[in-house]
Amino acid sequence: MKEPRINRRTMLKGLGSVAIGLPLMEEMISTRAFGANGAPPVRAFNVFFGLGIPAPLQTEGFDDVLEPLQPLSKKLLIMRNVDQVRCDESGINAHFDGASGAFTAEPPDGEAKSGGPSIDQVIRQAHYPDGMPDGMVPTLIAGTYFRRSRVSRYVHSYNYDGTVAATIQEKPRDLFNRVFGTVTVGDDSDALQQHLKRSVLDSVVGQYRHFTGANSPLGSASKGRLKDHLERIREFEQRAYEMHLDEAEGPKVPPRSEIAHGGEADPGGEGIDMRLDDLVTEWRLMSDLYALAVQMDRTRFGALTFLAAGERLRITGDYHYGGRKVFTFDDARQLSASGSGGCSHEWWHKFNESKKNEQLRAHAHMKMREVAYFLNRLDETKEPNGRSILENSLITVSTESGDGRHSDSKRELSGVFHAITGANGTFKTGQIMDVGHEGIDVYNSMLTAVGAKDRLGPKNREQLAVDQIRA
Amino acid sequence: MVKSSHVTFLVALVFSGLSLVDIRSQSPSDAGVARAQSGLQVLYDFSGTAVEAVEDRSAATPPIRLRVTNPKAVERNGGSLVIKGVTRLQSDRSVGRVVDSIRRSGELTLEAWITPANTEQSGPARIFSISNGSSQRNITLGQEGDKYDIRLRTTQTGVNGLPSLTLKPGSARSELTHIVYTRDRSGLTRVFLNGDQVVEKNIGGSTEGWERFRITLADEFGGKRLWKGTYHLIAIYSRDLLPGEVKAHYEVGPDFTVSDATLAKSKRSRGAELFEDHIAPMFAKHCLECHDSATAKGKLDLSKKSTLFAGGSGGEVIVPGKAAESYLFESVESNEMPEDRTPLSSREKELLKEWINEGAEWTLGQIDPVVYEHEGAAEENWLRRLTVDEYVETVRSAVGVDIQREAGEILPKDLRADGFSNTAYNLNVDMGHVSAYAQLASIIVERMNIPEFSRRFERKLKFTDKDMGRLIKKMGKWLLRGPVDDGEIILYRGISTSVASAGGSLNDAVGYIVEAMLQSPRFIYRLENQRGDGSFWPVGQYELASRLSYSLWGGPPDEELMRAADENELFDRPLLEGQIDRMLKDPRAVGQSIRFISEWLNLNRLANLRPASEKYPKWDPALAADMRQETELFFREIVWNQKRPLSDLMNAQITFATGRLAEHYGIPVKGDELQRYDLSQVSSRGGLMTQGSVLTVGGDDASMVTRGLFMLHDVLRGTVKDPPPGLDTTPVPSSPGKSNRFISQVRIDSTSCGGCHGKFEPMAFAFEKYDGLGSFRERDEFSNLLREDGAILIPGEAKAKPFATAAELMDLLAASDRVKETITWKVTQWVLGRPLEARDVPAIDSIHEASQKNGGTYADLMKAILTSDLVCKTKTEFTDSSSNG
Repeated sequence: MKEPRINRRTMLKGLGSVAIGLPLMEEMISTRAFGANGAPPVRAFNVFFGLGIPAPLQTEGFDDVLEPLQPLSKKLLIMRNVDQVRCDESGINAHFDGASGAFTAEPPDGEAKSGGPSIDQVIRQAHYPDGMPDGMVPTLIAGTYFRRSRVSRYVHSYNYDGTVAATIQEKPRDLFNRVFGTVTVGDDSDALQQHLKRSVLDSVVGQYRHFTGANSPLGSASKGRLKDHLERIREFEQRAYEMHLDEAEGPKVPPRSEIAHGGEADPGGEGIDMRLDDLVTEWRLMSDLYALAVQMDRTRFGALTFLAAGERLRITGDYHYGGRKVFTFDDARQLSASGSGGCSHEWWHKFNESKKNEQLRAHAHMKMREVAYFLNRLDETKEPNGRSILENSLITVSTESGDGRHSDSKRELSGVFHAITGANGTFKTGQIMDVGHEGIDVYNSMLTAVGAKDRLGPKNREQLAVDQIRA
Repeated sequence: MVKSSHVTFLVALVFSGLSLVDIRSQSPSDAGVARAQSGLQVLYDFSGTAVEAVEDRSAATPPIRLRVTNPKAVERNGGSLVIKGVTRLQSDRSVGRVVDSIRRSGELTLEAWITPANTEQSGPARIFSISNGSSQRNITLGQEGDKYDIRLRTTQTGVNGLPSLTLKPGSARSELTHIVYTRDRSGLTRVFLNGDQVVEKNIGGSTEGWERFRITLADEFGGKRLWKGTYHLIAIYSRDLLPGEVKAHYEVGPDFTVSDATLAKSKRSRGAELFEDHIAPMFAKHCLECHDSATAKGKLDLSKKSTLFAGGSGGEVIVPGKAAESYLFESVESNEMPEDRTPLSSREKELLKEWINEGAEWTLGQIDPVVYEHEGAAEENWLRRLTVDEYVETVRSAVGVDIQREAGEILPKDLRADGFSNTAYNLNVDMGHVSAYAQLASIIVERMNIPEFSRRFERKLKFTDKDMGRLIKKMGKWLLRGPVDDGEIILYRGISTSVASAGGSLNDAVGYIVEAMLQSPRFIYRLENQRGDGSFWPVGQYELASRLSYSLWGGPPDEELMRAADENELFDRPLLEGQIDRMLKDPRAVGQSIRFISEWLNLNRLANLRPASEKYPKWDPALAADMRQETELFFREIVWNQKRPLSDLMNAQITFATGRLAEHYGIPVKGDELQRYDLSQVSSRGGLMTQGSVLTVGGDDASMVTRGLFMLHDVLRGTVKDPPPGLDTTPVPSSPGKSNRFISQVRIDSTSCGGCHGKFEPMAFAFEKYDGLGSFRERDEFSNLLREDGAILIPGEAKAKPFATAAELMDLLAASDRVKETITWKVTQWVLGRPLEARDVPAIDSIHEASQKNGGTYADLMKAILTSDLVCKTKTEFTDSSSNG
């Protein structure tokens, strides 16, 4: 398997007009992020994995599919029996509903909107109401996915109005450029040209200010869109004019991805062939880059997706874990079907408690290994308070369903796997807890605990505090 | 004149498109007559007894109350107010709501019932004014001796509204007088005295310069323009009342008073509100799956008023006024219904109960579930970012640079939402956009001939404020698709001064200004004024020009359209239609229509076709491009060359194919190159649905479910719910003895699946003989004999329509009203950039009717859409700063 681990000390290679612009001294990583009061910055990230873990398999502790999470178990609160049934929308399958409900606790609102904000955005708004510090990517959304219809299958960070909180970066190089790319505006060596280009940008900013200000002729939704635009311009300004630092200290541009992206990644819902090695290589690049963005304090909010809800891949290859071969994937052959019928997705439809569910277990185990890989990357960096980034942040891991069979949406949206980190001692960790509450109450209790006042769901809904998750 | 005290007759007045308020109030004077309500911004009927204030009795919110500055100088006199001494009746804050609406509409009416105290007062003495002192106004109605004098501010008459429009000597008398001043968008101004038109003239310019001044009656702000006399009624409309309406108002008389009951009547009844906003969507969501015309379980059809009240096999289900005695409510309250589905929430149950208790009012023809699919979609008015295609075309049209390749590479792709990639709410922005717009602007300017471009607008170019300001004004208007204001000129002027101070040339300065304009929100987005009072307002003339050009061409207005906007011509219906006709003849209209068909059928999907090689070893990827080309050329031929109705796309007997595609289809090959094929003798082909571009939606296995759902959703505008609990939904592949049709029929015959699958899978029956890639065969790979006969259930209808062959189904679709309606809906959604919802239905119905009446071609449909309220008006958003607050 190719695993070109991204190292913070490696050197820059140019990529077109994009250059790298951050000093990467180890000490800068933490000092920048930590506030004067010695508290770590508030961070919240949503980690989504497609297709889920059937609720009965979650009861097996770390003995089977959750085995890869065991090394991190002291830093996680694994929550079983979390119910997302309220996210069911009649007329739409539960892959979509469940995925929309992950981190929002609301059913979708159309093909490209969620029913409400995601928890990371509510926390962002509570702690950074005036925007993020300069130079930071306000929300970083990235992911690997091959099912492209219906956006909330794969995007997992949403604004208050239900629109996506940022554009999802689906290729490692796109993610890299989004986080570390600086922008070359005109000829760098021509000071006059730089000055005049700056003057152009100033006038552009002036116009956006006018249309987002008190005398704007626009309604609230439109103004919100232009405010987003203005925020992106400010980022652009930072990168264009303020962040041209020593390129020699930047991270290396990742290799070009070799798997399908864009329309090719989803040929009409028919699914694509995928070698396990290629998929894992891509995932690890994405994990490395995303974790690096967090370690470098280039972002504090967002989401990372490990496959879309209802994903359709025909995976082949040997899967190893802990020095043993766990399984040989060959979905199409094992399902005796081609096209969409030969995709790993079908193992979830065929789940049967009284059977071995060998293939499903192997697929879910493999995904947990990759989620754990990402979490481990965040656990590598210790911060001044002695805890790791993983421990200091609120990382919520979830998925679309607690049972892959479409035959009963209540069952499908019950027992949806959730795991959270401690958020600097805010939540209990080191436990597998039978929560027995709705996701919306769990999420709102999480929001309360991290100091966010806004709540998910209908305003008049009676909230049930899920205090057992709090430390 | 009809004086009021003894009037008992009823005048029936109908003005097309206008809402009239029926004022059968308690007043003995006004029984059964009507005054126009539409566009009414303020109404002072001088009822009440307080002398400190006069209340606004229009239904517009917030009301604009007038404070009497010196109550001792006034006297109430049964529905009128007498001015005896020095005082003013003034709004204490600016009347933003009124000003904005008139500025926006470009139309107005000022109506007054008054009795002047004498014919000597002058100044002119202020009867009514929206002003800011004696020399700054929007409008003033005054009295100068025995003449009335009206001053209106327009972009031509200036801030003082001079010259006045003065009526003839003797027009003002010391007697009860009805005076009405109206002006339409074109500037046509009329004055009516006591119901008769006495003046008609043109006052040029627009009301765009109106400022948020205050209202004053009886004197000017600053004083010394006192008017004495009696006020009976004052009204302001943000539209020009028609002569018939003015006459009617005169006949209603001065003693018109608006009772609270009347105000309430002008709004929707509670029953209608409940039904339209809650009950119809509730039925659509929870009930019609089983109780529509087609399924009618228990012989109960809840989709129509007649069938609802007729009841089901168990008798009547609803007793208006008595929820407790209505079986419908009983079964819902007890959760007996909906059967095997999530029960209604307690809030929904309460609403149902209230609706029945209020009389179970039913205000629609038939409930069509699909119109409730996107509830709330029109609530938020999203501005529209230019799509990548629109950006490219805008740059090409505006500055003559082809930036397609670079934009395609640099700009992030636009993603589909609700079936189209121009859905406004989903056209979000990332730093990639910002960076791309900056890079592209730089590339565009490099490729432009700046001296030549600037000479289009200003021949003499200098760095002076005046000259550069003039260039910015003209060039900005062109690039930003509407006039630029002084603030913007200053902003861009900042760039040219920077260049000048750095020793740069004039051309450098213009280049940088263009670069900035290309990144302006006014260039990248379609900015419109969205603020107002929350109601629908006409869009501005330049906004309408952009709406027309982006709808018809996918690009900006051309010079002729901008000229028409300058001349206010777009608000004149024949001239507007003339512009649309002209624009439809432009090649850009063809390109834009092909973008529509590509979006509707999601033809971009074809580039990603990757059929399983085991199943389709002979697949040639070049066929995907051939299929796309076939559909686009076919569309061009039917719509533009033959100018046939859009519904003919369903069964036209021609196509365009390469030799490769013809062979794939199994029709006699005429040659390798792309050619037109006559299909009149080819029974298996003819119409969009028999083309590979559409047949491939079913995937490798030619899924009946997927193809049926495509037909249901995208061709027949239907909806279907999730499978019920307890059902294995794993697709069953065909096998020896079990064709796709056979397996499909098993699902349809199943009691648990058939209710829904019976509504859409038969729509795919005609296509069983086409494999997953659209090749025609009589038997599948297991030698199962395939069929093409069946029966199709059109959404909303009770009985399925049979067909024997695919060709028969194509004919049936071409003749189907539902298909025609679907095309109207799809094109309208494409034009508006948002999914449609229940609120849009009346307008879409009118569009559909108009376009079908005229022939149902693409041109007819576009014309109907572009002249409709959906395009000519916009829903404004109420904001505090636009109110009188």
